[in-house]
Amino acid sequence: MRLFLLALAFVALALPFAAQAQSPDLGAVIAQHRDQIEKPSRQSVGPVIEAIAASGPLGAALLQAWGDRLLAIRKSDGLLVITAPDGDGLTLTDAATGAGLGAAAEGDVTLLRPNSGVRGVISAALAGNALSDPDPKRRIEALDSLSRRADASQLALLRQALDDPDPALAARKARLERLLTIQYDPDPAARITAIESFGGDSGLDFRASLNPILTTRRVALEQVPADANIARKLSLGSDLSRDEAYAMLVADGTAPARLTSDAMRATLAQHIADGMVGGVSLAQLGDQAARDRAYTALETQGIVQPAASEAEVDAALSRYNFLDLYAEPDADVTTSARAALRGTETRIGLMQAADLSLDALSLASIYFLAAIGLAVTFGVMGVINMAHGEFIMMGAYTGYVVQQFITDKTVSLIVALPLAFVVTFAAGVALERLVIRHLYKRPLETLLATFGVSIALQQLAKNIFGTQARPLTSPAWLDGALTFNDVVSISYIRIAIFVLAMVFLGLYLFIMNRTRLGLEVRAVTQNPGMAASMGISPDRINMLTFGLGSGIAGIAGVAIGLFAKVTSELGSDYIVQSFMTVVVGGVGNIWGTLAGAALIGFLQKGIEWFNPANTLAAQTYMILFIIIFIQFRPRGIIAAKGRAAGA
Amino acid sequence: MKIYSTALAAALMSVGLAGASWAQEDTIKIGVLHSLSGTMAISETTLKDTVLMMVDQQNAKGGLLGKKIEAVVVDPASDWPLFAEKARELISVNGVDAIFGCWTSVSRKSVLPVIEELNGLLFYPVQYEGEESSKNVIYTGAAPNQQAIPAVDYMAEELGVEKWALLGTDYVYPRTTNNILDAYLKGKGVAAGDIFVNYTPFGHSDWSKIVADVVALGADGKKVGVVSTINGDANIGFYKELAAAGVSADDIPVMAFSVGEEELAGLDTTNLVGHLAAWNYFQTADSPDNKAFIGEWQKFTKNDKRVTNDPMEATVIGFNAWVKAVEKAGTTDTDPVLDGIVGVEVPNLTGGTAKVLPNHHLTKPVLIGEIRADGQFDIVSQTDEVAGDAWTDFLPESAKLDSDWPGKKCGMWNTETNSCVQEKSNY
Amino acid sequence: MRKPLVLRHPSILVFLGVLAVFTVAVTILSTGYGTGPISTSMVKTLGKTLCLALAAVAMDLVWGYAGILSLGQMAFFALGGYMIGMWLMVARTEGIVTGTLANLPIPPTDTEISAAVATQIFGVVGSDQFPLIWAFSGSLWGQLLMVVLVPGLLALVFGWLAFRSRVNGVYLSILTQAMTLALALYLFQNDSGLRGNNGLSGLQNIPGLDAVGQEKLSIWFLWASAVALGLGYLLIAWVASGKFGSVTRAIRDDEARVRFLGYSVEGYKLVVFVLAAVVTAIAGALYYPQAGIINPAELAPIASIYLAVWVAIGGRGRLYGAAIGAVFVSMLSSWFTGGRAPDVNLGFYTIKWVDWWQVLLGLSFVLVTLFAPKGISGLVDWFEGLRPPRRRGAALGPDMGSLREKEAVE
Repeated sequence: MRLFLLALAFVALALPFAAQAQSPDLGAVIAQHRDQIEKPSRQSVGPVIEAIAASGPLGAALLQAWGDRLLAIRKSDGLLVITAPDGDGLTLTDAATGAGLGAAAEGDVTLLRPNSGVRGVISAALAGNALSDPDPKRRIEALDSLSRRADASQLALLRQALDDPDPALAARKARLERLLTIQYDPDPAARITAIESFGGDSGLDFRASLNPILTTRRVALEQVPADANIARKLSLGSDLSRDEAYAMLVADGTAPARLTSDAMRATLAQHIADGMVGGVSLAQLGDQAARDRAYTALETQGIVQPAASEAEVDAALSRYNFLDLYAEPDADVTTSARAALRGTETRIGLMQAADLSLDALSLASIYFLAAIGLAVTFGVMGVINMAHGEFIMMGAYTGYVVQQFITDKTVSLIVALPLAFVVTFAAGVALERLVIRHLYKRPLETLLATFGVSIALQQLAKNIFGTQARPLTSPAWLDGALTFNDVVSISYIRIAIFVLAMVFLGLYLFIMNRTRLGLEVRAVTQNPGMAASMGISPDRINMLTFGLGSGIAGIAGVAIGLFAKVTSELGSDYIVQSFMTVVVGGVGNIWGTLAGAALIGFLQKGIEWFNPANTLAAQTYMILFIIIFIQFRPRGIIAAKGRAAGA
Repeated sequence: MKIYSTALAAALMSVGLAGASWAQEDTIKIGVLHSLSGTMAISETTLKDTVLMMVDQQNAKGGLLGKKIEAVVVDPASDWPLFAEKARELISVNGVDAIFGCWTSVSRKSVLPVIEELNGLLFYPVQYEGEESSKNVIYTGAAPNQQAIPAVDYMAEELGVEKWALLGTDYVYPRTTNNILDAYLKGKGVAAGDIFVNYTPFGHSDWSKIVADVVALGADGKKVGVVSTINGDANIGFYKELAAAGVSADDIPVMAFSVGEEELAGLDTTNLVGHLAAWNYFQTADSPDNKAFIGEWQKFTKNDKRVTNDPMEATVIGFNAWVKAVEKAGTTDTDPVLDGIVGVEVPNLTGGTAKVLPNHHLTKPVLIGEIRADGQFDIVSQTDEVAGDAWTDFLPESAKLDSDWPGKKCGMWNTETNSCVQEKSNY
Repeated sequence: MRKPLVLRHPSILVFLGVLAVFTVAVTILSTGYGTGPISTSMVKTLGKTLCLALAAVAMDLVWGYAGILSLGQMAFFALGGYMIGMWLMVARTEGIVTGTLANLPIPPTDTEISAAVATQIFGVVGSDQFPLIWAFSGSLWGQLLMVVLVPGLLALVFGWLAFRSRVNGVYLSILTQAMTLALALYLFQNDSGLRGNNGLSGLQNIPGLDAVGQEKLSIWFLWASAVALGLGYLLIAWVASGKFGSVTRAIRDDEARVRFLGYSVEGYKLVVFVLAAVVTAIAGALYYPQAGIINPAELAPIASIYLAVWVAIGGRGRLYGAAIGAVFVSMLSSWFTGGRAPDVNLGFYTIKWVDWWQVLLGLSFVLVTLFAPKGISGLVDWFEGLRPPRRRGAALGPDMGSLREKEAVE
């Protein structure tokens, strides 16, 4: 109904454009609708816009400014002006006459702020004409506006403006024309042709124009009219429960309501006489059976309305047909739309699976990135570092601090990544030298000591940076998403994290397997005594390895801060999951960590898919699964074998 | 050995404390019960500073009843049981006459039994889920009908939203608010299939799937709108993912109930321009009172970039209402002050007045703001003052309940049976 | 004939004596029963601290004696609290609801009472049905049994699975941590049936005892906590002292050797783990009625780590050490965060303890672990002239949980 009224308004609005009627005085229009212009509402602004638009090019300019939030009221005399930013101040133009009014300061005017609903109506009103505007930007805006809200009248305007110098825009126009045809063309044959022209297309906009055709409403009818476009006949019991069906009849007012226990109590309470109701004493009525007896007694005395019995309910239900009816009267159109929609289902399902896999892959790469530092310190060295999360946090804060000094986001990122490594490498080395070195054979004590470091660092971060989350903004080229189609897309920042995770995997493999450092690390891990007698300094190697693991955590921190948030609690959000990633995967093997991260990521997204309303449940069951998994594979997915297993 | 000495120390400590509370009777004490550490410190520290600033101002004006006001600040450390412990300490040890504090619903529920037992007075400054009205609490934040319902009306009427995604953090405020909205929307004829609900844990950061789910709702050809009761830090990841997915406010507007100026300070808002928030106050409100308040606040915090927000305004209103009630009653005792405070009117910072109602809620205007690129809000809608409703009319169980402290001495009055369900709160 | 337990271990007598003196002293100084200098909130804090001490003693049995660093003990603690909390909530609400419904002209049916109670309790999470797990919540004895059974069963199943698969050392620590995290996340859900993030609240109001008043109730609970701590201490000291205790300590220091000697290592560990879980749960069941509210945040992994830290600071492997650690650190913590500690003005910077206490606490873990493995109870050894054995830096055994040279007593 509302849509229809709007449509009417637009028809009326579009006509003057086409006819180029003589323009009434804009000043008078403004004066007449002044309060609507100052405080517009989407539902009532239509006629105002129509009147303004009817006043010619000045009116169009006013609408454009209004939509762009450049319309203002001059405080000195209450004049409606169009503003244009000019340096620190504004340049004013009289909205009614188009006369220049010179410069003014921002404080001299009150800017009008129409809400986005009103702006939508304004841009839709301007869209019809803007479709053939010489400026391609305006044409794109007009198309955007039309694809958000359009109606039958604009279908006509669009058909007139289908030619476009830009082939991409011409294609968009043609597609939009077919979409609008599906919805608004009066000729069913044209609509069916348009539906079929899309073939197996699974675009969101296509489905969005099909689904409204297929909306149904549920009715209970004694007689089914011959022209009814029936979507489905409902059979009682399987499609619709008896209670639901009867409730429909009650709601329609065609059957008496059943007696609820509340209603029964209220009725009984109305008929208390001498401490008795229907021959049953009040004290006994704390029992349902006694209440039933009392009510039946009242019924037989004819004092109360008899409640609908089961037999009456059955009789009423058998008289009615329960149907889902299409709102669209034409059966051919609905059949065609249904066929088209069904054709897209499999594709959509596959694409959703693909999108979910991308999400899972992304989550896995985040877990992997958070855990890869641990894979070095815990996996290789066997050191439990509970402050690992705080190293991630330090990395993120490093990124934030760098952005305070270097405003160019790309440069700051290039500086922040190595700097985060340096900072956390140094912190890691310090921690190793001061604390962990003394506790190499005592992993449980290491756990407690590093936990102490962790809470101290967290509180320090709070003292330095405050408790508020700090902004860490990604460069513009990481904004947005890689969109394959309307369903499958992944944001660039997640791709970047994935790439970073892969780079680190490569780096780790290279360092461990191809460099002298890696050789020495492996030697020290397997047998420190023997390594020392071969001239390797275990002290130095341990320090470097721990620093390396910590440094990687710092870089991970920058990445995680870019996609999520930078707070002092950032690290503690990841620490338990990170340890589980390493343990599930199998300690001492980077491929295990990779497998662990993948398992956790895919598992979590899988559970989320089963229960989309509750993300918390997904996390709970994921951890539960891990606990059980470790009971049966205590050494993880990829267990270390041979001598390394004992180390 | 050690235990005994610890006990001794503890005993001495409490003796010292009790002594301190006897010593200074020439000041009026108020308690400040906001977390200064832990997860909630991020929001609550600001309110502690607000109370301290109000105390300073009142003392500069000559104090209250001829005495100086002294604020006793304690740190419940975002630990819910600690809220109850500290509240008891404030009332029974420090002898405070009013407490300004709590943020989360669970902290309020923790404090409630203590406040009611000791007949204290709590000013609670945050928008909440309603379904409560205690004799000893003045709710200066918004009830659902002062924030959620008008915001949803705005989305339906002004933005034409027909399909709803209710996203929230998994705790009581979003749950109850969404239950109310669900009933309200269905009452307005929205089909059950047009309401999508999702709950995420605190501090959730992986939003890609949920944002994709919301975008997919658009396949029905109906305009989709998001109502977000996502709390705190989790918003940052959510908005970043929204921006990355290219969801513009024109396509899918997001209306947030827990995102204010403070939260936006943590992210770059250029991609979020046009998304919405509903509050009873925005820093951009154009009124002389507000300008003065912002100036004083920035002076008090010695930071000319510090933002103000809605719970701060609620704290200010609560403090001013308490001052007026104390002046009216001529004493700081709880019962006379509670008798006096109903009907007290204090100016809102956005213009208009806030009146304390018999159900211990306030009248508040509802403001809708669109996010700007500078992290502030453009106010696109402002209603007249709406009276706060403790028991929502849209859930059958609470529709029949009413609260009237001066008249019926009951916060949970069943209008069907005309009896008081319970005098103490349901915690 | 061996000497009685308390004579073999005089520390038990000293501990119980100090505990008794402390409890009596607090009672005499309390508002409820004495002269009044100790406020009710302080009495509650002290009572809660005794419960924490009991949990720490149980933790010491698991970690100090059996070498299992369980980072999930607070899960049992909180479960105990939840179990007793269910009865407290139902009984209290039932009292209120029957009072209201009695005003109606027609007496309520049992179904109506139960529905009204459920609406009151679960209204905040948008439900009006009792979940299945509340089946016994109407009966005090039923729930008291659950206080022991539920955490005991959880410990039994978890321990049996974990010990059977020979998950030990650091892995077991992470696994127990995951257990408490999973439980916390589960309870955070509104659908969990335990009121989600709101948890169970108003627990300090004991049904039927409204007339007593909190100042007296707090003393009752202090005594209950003190008795529980005393009995729990005796029980655990008895378990840890005999042959069973010797085997347990042997498992801590060298599990493989004990296994080769023919003992059922898993059995011993399981008994210790379950016993500790049950004792911890009882401590929790006494703690939360004093705290007044329990919610899933109490199960956060960090709480269990703190428990381990208390034991470490007090001195691992001595029961009185664990109790001292818990009392000392938690009291100190509440002193510092209560804003009572004076600020330190360094001229250029003022140290506010609210901000810096955590830093100090964190660093003191590190220092204690590194330099004073015996923790506070090292002072007792020093006083008594006890010295560690000379093992040239070697620990008592090869296992991760074994005592270090400096921790042991000759």
